[in-house]
Amino acid sequence: MSSRWPATRRHRLAWMLVVACLACTNNPYPSSDSEKKILYTSFGDAPRTLDPAVAYTTSAHVITGAVYDTLLEYHYLKRPYELIPGLASDLPRSYRSEDGGIVYRFELRQGVLYQDDPCFELGGAGRQSREVLMADVAFALMRIADPDVNSPVAEPFSNVAGFQDFTARLSERREADADFARRPVRQQYAEVGPIDGVRVDGEHVLEIALASAYPQILYWFAMPFTAPLPWEAVEYYDGRQGRDRLADHPVGAGPYVLAEYNKQSRFVLEANANWYGALHPEWRAPGAVYPFEGEERDRQAGRLDPAVVGRPLPFIERVEFRREKESIPYFNKFLQGYYDASGVIKESFERVIHEGGLSEEMRALGISLEKTVQPSVYYIGFNMDDETIGTPAGERARLLRQAMSMVIDAREYARLFMNGRGVPAQSLLPPGIFGYDEAYENPNRRIDLERARQLMEEAGYPNGIDPKTQRPLRLTFDTPDTQAQARLRFEFFTRSWRQIGIDVEISATNYNQFQEKVRNGSYQIFMWGWVADYPDPENFLFLLWSEMARSKSGGPNTANFSDTRFDELYLSMKGRENGPQRLAEIREMLKILERQRPWIELFHPEDYALYHGWLTNVKPFGMSFSTTKYRDLDATKRASLRADWNEPVLWPLYAVTLLSLAVLVPGIITFMRERQ
Amino acid sequence: MESWVVSNVVVALIVVGVAGLAWFGLRDRMWSQALGELWCRRRYSVLVIAFYVAVALLDSISWVGGMEAQSDTVARYKAQSILDRLFADTRERSYSAPFADREFYGGAALQRPGSHVLGTDIIGRDVFYLSLKGARVALLIGGLTSLIAIPLALLFGVSAGYFGGRTDDLVFFVMSTLASMPGLLLLIALIMVMGKSTLAVCLALAVTSWVGFCRVSRGETLKLRELEYVCAARALGVSELRIIFRHVLPNLMHLVIITGVLMFSGLVLSEVVLSWLGIGVDGSWGQMIDQARNELSREPIIWWNISAAGSALFGVILAVNFVGDAVRDILDPQTLRQGE
Repeated sequence: MSSRWPATRRHRLAWMLVVACLACTNNPYPSSDSEKKILYTSFGDAPRTLDPAVAYTTSAHVITGAVYDTLLEYHYLKRPYELIPGLASDLPRSYRSEDGGIVYRFELRQGVLYQDDPCFELGGAGRQSREVLMADVAFALMRIADPDVNSPVAEPFSNVAGFQDFTARLSERREADADFARRPVRQQYAEVGPIDGVRVDGEHVLEIALASAYPQILYWFAMPFTAPLPWEAVEYYDGRQGRDRLADHPVGAGPYVLAEYNKQSRFVLEANANWYGALHPEWRAPGAVYPFEGEERDRQAGRLDPAVVGRPLPFIERVEFRREKESIPYFNKFLQGYYDASGVIKESFERVIHEGGLSEEMRALGISLEKTVQPSVYYIGFNMDDETIGTPAGERARLLRQAMSMVIDAREYARLFMNGRGVPAQSLLPPGIFGYDEAYENPNRRIDLERARQLMEEAGYPNGIDPKTQRPLRLTFDTPDTQAQARLRFEFFTRSWRQIGIDVEISATNYNQFQEKVRNGSYQIFMWGWVADYPDPENFLFLLWSEMARSKSGGPNTANFSDTRFDELYLSMKGRENGPQRLAEIREMLKILERQRPWIELFHPEDYALYHGWLTNVKPFGMSFSTTKYRDLDATKRASLRADWNEPVLWPLYAVTLLSLAVLVPGIITFMRERQ
Repeated sequence: MESWVVSNVVVALIVVGVAGLAWFGLRDRMWSQALGELWCRRRYSVLVIAFYVAVALLDSISWVGGMEAQSDTVARYKAQSILDRLFADTRERSYSAPFADREFYGGAALQRPGSHVLGTDIIGRDVFYLSLKGARVALLIGGLTSLIAIPLALLFGVSAGYFGGRTDDLVFFVMSTLASMPGLLLLIALIMVMGKSTLAVCLALAVTSWVGFCRVSRGETLKLRELEYVCAARALGVSELRIIFRHVLPNLMHLVIITGVLMFSGLVLSEVVLSWLGIGVDGSWGQMIDQARNELSREPIIWWNISAAGSALFGVILAVNFVGDAVRDILDPQTLRQGE
């Protein structure tokens, strides 16, 4: 043995082992990156598409929002949410056209460039980029109207004059002329003519004429759907001859570019050298500098530090998204400092949160907690077309719905199933939305068992007994969620209703069967949620507009609620700017809902976000809007803390080695002795 | 007819049937010897199974009324089993640890401090009660599915083995086709088509589990049909059906019992897998485990829910496997010959 393993080689091997042990680290990133301003975050499943006209998920908007800049943006710190100019030089001016319709006039900044990309060679050999033009915004709007693109937001744009007409013209031409359908889309759009209400005036002016009043349309210009899109990208990234698809290769004029996009392992965003904020810091554009104003709590949280306000954006040079399929390993890596921010996972809630604040352990790590109420609402809905619980049963059903509403304790529900991370809802409007009244208390959402029993009696169901059957009133709660854990949540509701003698059966089916029931109207009670597209009460109240009824138009009014006065008020408030008149109309609508009870409003979910001390300027936004460019981090502090928190613990290795030797050596000696 | 009346009738029939079989078994020398042998070898396992059966029966005998003192008005009009009545009004608001007198999170006082032997779950249900209720579902799944699968397997297996020819080809083709399909996917597809109910789950499990025993019974029948006494019966002009019922089936009975016992535990475990996938039966141990799966990663840990369901499942599976093993040793002629 000694002849095959000379002493020098054995020593070398031993030294290598020792060095390997001492050098071992759990750092998943290259050490050369440790001092760079790189934000580390994660994703679960890659977005299905990054096509700005189609992508409608939060995970997609994290990327598309950073890559595609829009004409307008949200103010990062102000609440209620406020629009500011983005690529536009100012907020749009509105005026009445000759036919009485509203027209919005946008002006684009001059000299704004797209990111460098090979697709621009289509416009001339050697071109790497070009200027952003209003024709690109018109092109993006035409794509939303294009039925082949299948944009999920075509409906709200139907308020633009001629929008649906463009869709019809395009479809007709494609059906009638196969040659036309094969031409590049830009050529097709040019041949069928523009959308009447989208008028490009020169290179930097765009007018949007509305067929009907819809001031909320401005919010859509702060979302990636309407971001200027170069026709070259659509033509070049067609998935042919080894080229990417547009769905995987965004080309925009935003603060970041997508430098790497591996759906299985990681995405990388890098600062865009062509971004107007980087090329023209002297413009001091509102979307390119850190905001000067905010809320009082921003001042308290250090988000209005004089050292940071007015500084050019972005602060972070690279964002790395690593794939993490499970929440527990992600959270552990966050605690080790390998991710900069995290939510609070349900499993570790008790460890992280103590009496509504951070636990001692988290505070010792320098972690901060930010709570934000999401602009969304979760509710239990009644099918108002139902014979027992809906409008056909008249006053009786109304009292029944009121009684059922009075026994559902949303606070207790949030405590049990969401670690208390939900604000009990008094109406469908969440905090931060115009019309929300913090002092408002819905009398039918106050837990009052006695009053609920009295209402049951008034409804003709004394003690819950249905006079027809002489047994407890039997209703059905339909859900597409068949998971055992979901059943517990639904049992919470059925158990509450049992208190007033109503026997509610849970009918859990698969999603297709559930959709079938909804189509046929054969459902009574369901649970649903709505996350706002934009921060306007119209985006919540339209959910109960009769024109949106599922049974009538297949719309999102699954409760099939229909009330003439509510509809009148909705149509009136929809076209109004925020003001006392609009507020009065909203209040009246909420009163109708309070009395009619098509929904039992449950809660507005609350986001708990954790951040390490080295990450600054963080404010959860609630809406699906990329805020990466506002964040900053201290990479040196992070590297130092990571090193402290992740010192290799070598004693178990030594202990195992010694133990193995203690077991193996006598064994080997005995074996050798026996062989001799 | 009300479902609880059907349940009571089924219980009565089962009790009468088991008593009849026991009476018959004790009168027959071979079966009485076998039962005696089983008792000697696996006394504790038999007692464990008897306990589960007793609990299941307690949860199957139900009637309406007698719950006027209950706060739950719906319960007064619904059939309640003996088990439900024993555990009436034991609900708390949320989690409590075994024998605790306060809620696990928040520390609010419990309505029934110290009385929850295995604690309570997230919506305050007594875990001991839920574990006991799972016994009925487990026995129902195992028993009903075996009652569907074994006759199906016997019908096809004996027909194929006895008649041979085209019948054999057809049965073999069906068996091979079914065996080549991924069992779990077929199960999910069947339940999706039939809807989620106890009967649908039992039918789906039966459709996917009869093939193995069918193959065994076919092979055994192939052997039996060539034996002298079967040939003699055929030569004497005895009808085919009579030969099958008089000479073939009785000689397959030991296989039926062995397969039934061994199949039972596999079926109960299959239901757990289905519950994990969200298509199991309400009130099963599988559903309890699924509901509690994230509780082990909570801090502090909620261990009693999953432990109770897992232990109850483990107890019955282990006992049934021990008994199945002993039954095979006692009844299988090959094992007996090896023993001699």
